[in-house]
Amino acid sequence: MKLWAGLFLLLSFVSGVLSASSTQDKFATYQSLSRSGPVDLDSASYEDLTSTPRDYYAAVILTATDPRFGCLLCRDFESEWDLIARSWTKGPKPDELKVVFGTLDFDNGKAVFQKLMLQTAPVILVFPPTIGPFAKVEGNPLRFDFTGPISADQVYSWIGRHLPEGPKPELVRPINYMRIVSVTTILMAVVTATTVLSPYLLPIVQNRNLWAAVSLIAILLFTSGQMFNHIRKVPYVAGDGKGGISYFAGGFQNQFGMETQIVAAIYAVLSFATIALALKVPRMEDVKGQQLAVLIWATVLFATYSFLLSVFKTKNGGYPFYLPPF
Amino acid sequence: MAPSSLDVVLKGSSGRNTRGLLRVIILCTIAAAAVSSRLFSVIRFESIIHEFDPWFNFRATKYLVENGFYSFWDWFDDRTWHPLGRVTGGTLYPGLMVTSGVIYHILRLLTIPVDIRNICVLLAPGFSGLTALAMYLLTSEMSDSPSAGLLAAAFMGITPGYISRSVAGSYDNEAIAIFLLVFTFYLWIKAVKNGSIMWGALTALFYGYMVSAWGGYVFITNLIPLHVFVLLCMGRYSTRVYISYTTWYALGTLGSMQIPFVGFLPIRNSDHMSALGVFGLIQLVAFAEFIRGYLPGKQFQKLLTSMVLLTFGLGFGGLVLLSVSGVIAPWSGRFYSLWDTGYAKIHIPIIASVSEHQPTAWPAFFFDLNFLIWLFPAGVFMCFQKLKDEHVFVVIYSVLASYFAGVMVRLMLTLTPIVCVAAALALSCILDNFLVASTPSTETKAKATTEDKSLRSARNPVVGIYSWFSKSVVVASVTLYLLMFVAHCTWVTSNAYSSPSVVLASKLPDGSQFIIDDYREAYYWLRQNTPDNAKIMSWWDYGYQIGGMADRPTLVDNNTWNNTHIATVGKAMSSREEVSYPILRQHDVDYVLVVFGGLLGYSGDDLNKFLWMVRIAEGIWPDEVKERDFFTARGEYRVDEEATPAMKNSLMYKMSYHNYQSLFPAGQAMDRVRGTRLPKESPQLNTLEEAFTSENWIVRLYKVKDLDNLGRDHSNAVAFDKGLKRKRATKRKGPRVLRTE
Repeated sequence: MKLWAGLFLLLSFVSGVLSASSTQDKFATYQSLSRSGPVDLDSASYEDLTSTPRDYYAAVILTATDPRFGCLLCRDFESEWDLIARSWTKGPKPDELKVVFGTLDFDNGKAVFQKLMLQTAPVILVFPPTIGPFAKVEGNPLRFDFTGPISADQVYSWIGRHLPEGPKPELVRPINYMRIVSVTTILMAVVTATTVLSPYLLPIVQNRNLWAAVSLIAILLFTSGQMFNHIRKVPYVAGDGKGGISYFAGGFQNQFGMETQIVAAIYAVLSFATIALALKVPRMEDVKGQQLAVLIWATVLFATYSFLLSVFKTKNGGYPFYLPPF
Repeated sequence: MAPSSLDVVLKGSSGRNTRGLLRVIILCTIAAAAVSSRLFSVIRFESIIHEFDPWFNFRATKYLVENGFYSFWDWFDDRTWHPLGRVTGGTLYPGLMVTSGVIYHILRLLTIPVDIRNICVLLAPGFSGLTALAMYLLTSEMSDSPSAGLLAAAFMGITPGYISRSVAGSYDNEAIAIFLLVFTFYLWIKAVKNGSIMWGALTALFYGYMVSAWGGYVFITNLIPLHVFVLLCMGRYSTRVYISYTTWYALGTLGSMQIPFVGFLPIRNSDHMSALGVFGLIQLVAFAEFIRGYLPGKQFQKLLTSMVLLTFGLGFGGLVLLSVSGVIAPWSGRFYSLWDTGYAKIHIPIIASVSEHQPTAWPAFFFDLNFLIWLFPAGVFMCFQKLKDEHVFVVIYSVLASYFAGVMVRLMLTLTPIVCVAAALALSCILDNFLVASTPSTETKAKATTEDKSLRSARNPVVGIYSWFSKSVVVASVTLYLLMFVAHCTWVTSNAYSSPSVVLASKLPDGSQFIIDDYREAYYWLRQNTPDNAKIMSWWDYGYQIGGMADRPTLVDNNTWNNTHIATVGKAMSSREEVSYPILRQHDVDYVLVVFGGLLGYSGDDLNKFLWMVRIAEGIWPDEVKERDFFTARGEYRVDEEATPAMKNSLMYKMSYHNYQSLFPAGQAMDRVRGTRLPKESPQLNTLEEAFTSENWIVRLYKVKDLDNLGRDHSNAVAFDKGLKRKRATKRKGPRVLRTE
């Protein structure tokens, strides 16, 4: 009985050592391959990396960076993923905690994408170790789906949560010296330029017409819903389903980029007509000319307002008011 | 002698009196119009408090009236945020409640017995009349025209942008805050014009009142320093500005610090730092101006200027350093999200989840302001004509407020006053020119000296309008626009802003009105059928209403001060019963309330808000609640047969659809909000039992079961109960057999 147990122990020890040594090699090769950033994988090396037994964590991003696929998220996140891998390899961490970061591009790993039945990219998979001190019973990978633009910090903290307790390297963003230098240079250039050019700039800065124009443009932009476009990222125009373009979005809470520009233009015309009637016309000395100007501006005001009301009526179906022409 | 008798009334000092009297009558009429146009909801429904926040204010006012001011000040409320409680006296803006409390006591003193509820309901319309008056005063300061102030008052009285927050029954902070905002600005303009300590102190006084009434006081705190800063940059430093600003800042800051909720924020928070910075800057500038008189040489002058700039730079750097090191708190989340518009969505989902924090689409501007929206830029342009100190204020306010209103729907409220001012300036300019009866003679062409600085379009002297035809054309069209504005405002107020949202109204096919009163039905059920301290869990939207109408303790409410607690409720709602039940037990929950609109097609129900619950819960427990799990593989949010397992097993889903299928023939169950057919089987609830469902199924209440008597878990107990029944049934059906052994 004792003999059997001893033999069994010995056998298991030997097998453990053997397997450990083979996975040890695997980890070492991938680590050397990676240098400091993530390892570029293809289908074969992906299978090898994620095959059991493994004594390391494998974090792989499945992505499609080629411009053909139009995956903006993938390309945006590429540098962030690089940052994560770099921070991990450079930072201080416990020796026995081994993590390999890898990147599998769609071009190199179509088979893997098919096998996993992935419809979207990017996706991050984290494979826990199956042997060693941090081995998990179930070796199924953890999956991180992207729902929108995500920063490296969020992904890093997600990965960190699934690693065992203990100290982990901080995510370090490299200091952008280039940017500091360029900002300082630009700042100094601006200061110099203003001091040198002040005799020429001062009249422009103090020009009342300029400030009036700037404030009016700002007000027109804001009141025509430009911030809504900016925040919601609405499309500029959309098709109406019959091959044409629909300029105005249906519904009270929707709008298109072009629609807001049209509305801003309408407001501008109306305001300008008002200004003309209020300020310019009473200052005209010519009797006939004044009569004509009043007629023109009043008509413009009336017609444009009528158009604005008709546009508003299309947006808000139950609106009961309108003015004749439109 | 008819003309001469008229002359007596219209000319000289009695003419002035006549005009003054007319003015008073017009203003009174405007105030009456402002009040009466806000009474739609009272006439149509009843004198009832609206929506959500007003219910808390109402409850707090009742507490104040019953217990007196000092116990209100020290009020610790253990009936909300169970089990944490809330230091209510220290975390609210007491201005509104104190105002109605004072009115109540004055009326009692005059032996007019009036219910506190009616005061609360009618407070907002009452103050809107005062706002119109304040608007008249403010606009009269901006313009020489006699009509501008009256026009502005009329606009302010009925424009939907302001009515939206001040109909009868919407007993919210904004009800008095907009009056205070406009009046404070009027006093400020007065102070800057006169450079008098009295006006500055009055500004500070009303600023303090504003601070006690509404969190939006930060707008004033930043706008006035910005005004002063721009004036300094324009080289318009004067002792007037110095006196009024320093008086306002010193007294106003002290005043604002008396409110416990504000406390030391004015010196420790970035929102208030611009006021402090400008206070420092104006001291430096004043010092430099003072010294300049004694310094002869040009070198000294230069030295002085650079000294001022250097000190200001150092001070500014110091402020930045203090905020970075954390001595000065960073910008508060709500305020910061105005500048960085993507910030709230990522970091504070609870702010982003509120519908009034969404950006504004252009129809909303036109809806709320009608033709004022295109008079607005014209009026701002006219401010550049003279560009006195007060006009600078209008320009800054306009640009800033239109930006804010574009970012957040609710800030339309702060834009509305300045739109009324600017539009009134523009329209009064037109009316003043076109309503003059006398025709200018063609001979007199007095060339006035043209100012180089003024606007290009206003350099020539004003001549006047010659022909009657042009006058009548313009006046007729303007009258038409004004009439349409009145019609628009009435229509909007009546259709969009007069629903109490506690009581819903819909039209039956035959055109008659159908009142849906489910909320109150359910709240009164709670009030009458549950013990006084039964804890109710619901999503935070309904917390204030439960507190106000049902008078029962709640877990979370609309005062969203504790995100974790809200996330706990979100987690309980979005998890499986096995996970939720321990949470419910730990928080002593007796009843759970959900709002379900599927039967009636009421789209503001909990399943439509469900994703926010998930998101907020995910923010705290990212491993246990995942938004992704509630979307199908194709990224759809579904509730029907193909809903994800996480969705189907969530407590919210089960509570919403529990027994719903029994209303319909087998397999025909429809959800009318989401327009989908539901699974055949209704979900099985084990740990809760249905306690009450309102008439139209909008509010559903569930009682949390106690632990099982035999120590089984609930799913086993329910299965056992079911199984037992079935067995009994078969036994009964079976033929009776005599024992023949």
